[in-house]
Amino acid sequence: MEKSRAEKEGKIWAIGGGKGGTGKTFVTSAMGTYLAGKGKRVVLIDVDIGGANLHSFLGIDRPKKSLTDFFETGASLNKLAVKTGVDNMFLITGDIHSLASDSIKFTQKLKLFRHIMKLNKHYVIIDLGDGSHNNTIDTFLMADKRIVILEPEITSVENMYHFIKNALFRKLRMSLREYGFKEIVEQMWEKRQEYKIKSLRELMDCIRDSFSYVGDIIDKELSDFKLYLILNKIRSSDDILIGSSMKSIFKKYLCVDTRFVGFVEYDDSVWRSVRERRPFMLNYSLSRSAKEVEVFTENLLKGKEIKLSRN
Amino acid sequence: MSRKHLKRYFEILELDSDASLPEIKNAYVRLNRLYSTDSMVMTPIADEFSKKKRQEVLRQIEEAYTKLNEELKDEHQRATSLGKPGIASENGAEGEEVESASFSGDVLKQIREKRGIHLYEVALDTKIRVEILENIEHEKFDALPQEVYLKGHVSNYARYLSLDPRKVADDYINRYKAWKAET
Repeated sequence: MEKSRAEKEGKIWAIGGGKGGTGKTFVTSAMGTYLAGKGKRVVLIDVDIGGANLHSFLGIDRPKKSLTDFFETGASLNKLAVKTGVDNMFLITGDIHSLASDSIKFTQKLKLFRHIMKLNKHYVIIDLGDGSHNNTIDTFLMADKRIVILEPEITSVENMYHFIKNALFRKLRMSLREYGFKEIVEQMWEKRQEYKIKSLRELMDCIRDSFSYVGDIIDKELSDFKLYLILNKIRSSDDILIGSSMKSIFKKYLCVDTRFVGFVEYDDSVWRSVRERRPFMLNYSLSRSAKEVEVFTENLLKGKEIKLSRN
Repeated sequence: MSRKHLKRYFEILELDSDASLPEIKNAYVRLNRLYSTDSMVMTPIADEFSKKKRQEVLRQIEEAYTKLNEELKDEHQRATSLGKPGIASENGAEGEEVESASFSGDVLKQIREKRGIHLYEVALDTKIRVEILENIEHEKFDALPQEVYLKGHVSNYARYLSLDPRKVADDYINRYKAWKAET
């Protein structure tokens, strides 16, 4: 009962977070392998614009067909999904050209998501790649579970704020538009000098003050905008605190709820695995980092936080 | 005692409303430090998240902590009589079980895992490196430091797990000695 509900609610997982090299592709492949190992039917979708290389983490060749075929010739997703060498797990790859810049219209993205939802799979995990491009953000927003990967480095922290603020801004703008308040966000933003708005938070507060009737909408959007945070490549125990700190700042500054679901320590066997062309979770299944992947994936399934005795 | 009216304060400290007083204190210390210093996670948004706003956040944290402390004092007194804060176990049965066990690395590991504590957290609080803790648990004696240091580590670890440090360390060191005699 509980399982079917969780699966219905959280079938599509998107992995993002802004900065490149934080381990989104690693997390996607490792999580997928673990879920598939539990007997779940999983499909991974690689929409990394800068460099789709999820296949490399699985030790297979780049699939010949890609999402371009879906967009251009209407090929079914099932046809695009290739076997990965891991039982129960399939891979659909994006394409550098078709997914670049604004070549895909919003309606096309909606269509893609409709088809993704219809896939006969338990979980669809989307590797978003770097950056805060609209295409990336939209995919992130459409997913059931929004997962961000943070590396304990200032550049990663910086890019993540940027990513989350962009996503939140876009979400607010879209939903206010849906409710018929078309230009509120834009107008307010244009008048930011006048209102002394310097940040997204101030913008939200200002909209709330000026248009009290949209306050409820903003509150609802904020409470729906839940994030799942994974800390990757930690090198010392102090690094764990960075996860808790990010969670706190997201809440206190942006009013966004975050669940800090887990962390993975820095592990050379990750790149070694790529070189050996074997999925990490199968190759190093007994390593500490593999266990850590299991922990956060379970937490994601249950929507729980990592249990830290010192919170 | 109903904690409903305190919900707001728990939220400010980012805790569930069933948090214990030690947990409340941990959260208070952690958040206080986060918002009063320029940590790595704060720097990128320093100009957006103004000093003034941070002061306000700090004030709320302070208020929440004071309030919760006042209201939950009674509970606290009961809690402290139960054992060490922080990892005060949920039930007494665990303690009994622990009494009868011999403290091999494996037993320590089991106790830790049962309490849902990650090695990283142990390292964080005891300042013992994760690798050493791991070697203690796996009884990789040849990779462990000399006896005197080892004894110190094991008793610190035991203390962290609310076990009797001396008993655990003695027991463990006996195993270590037995191994040494063999090699």
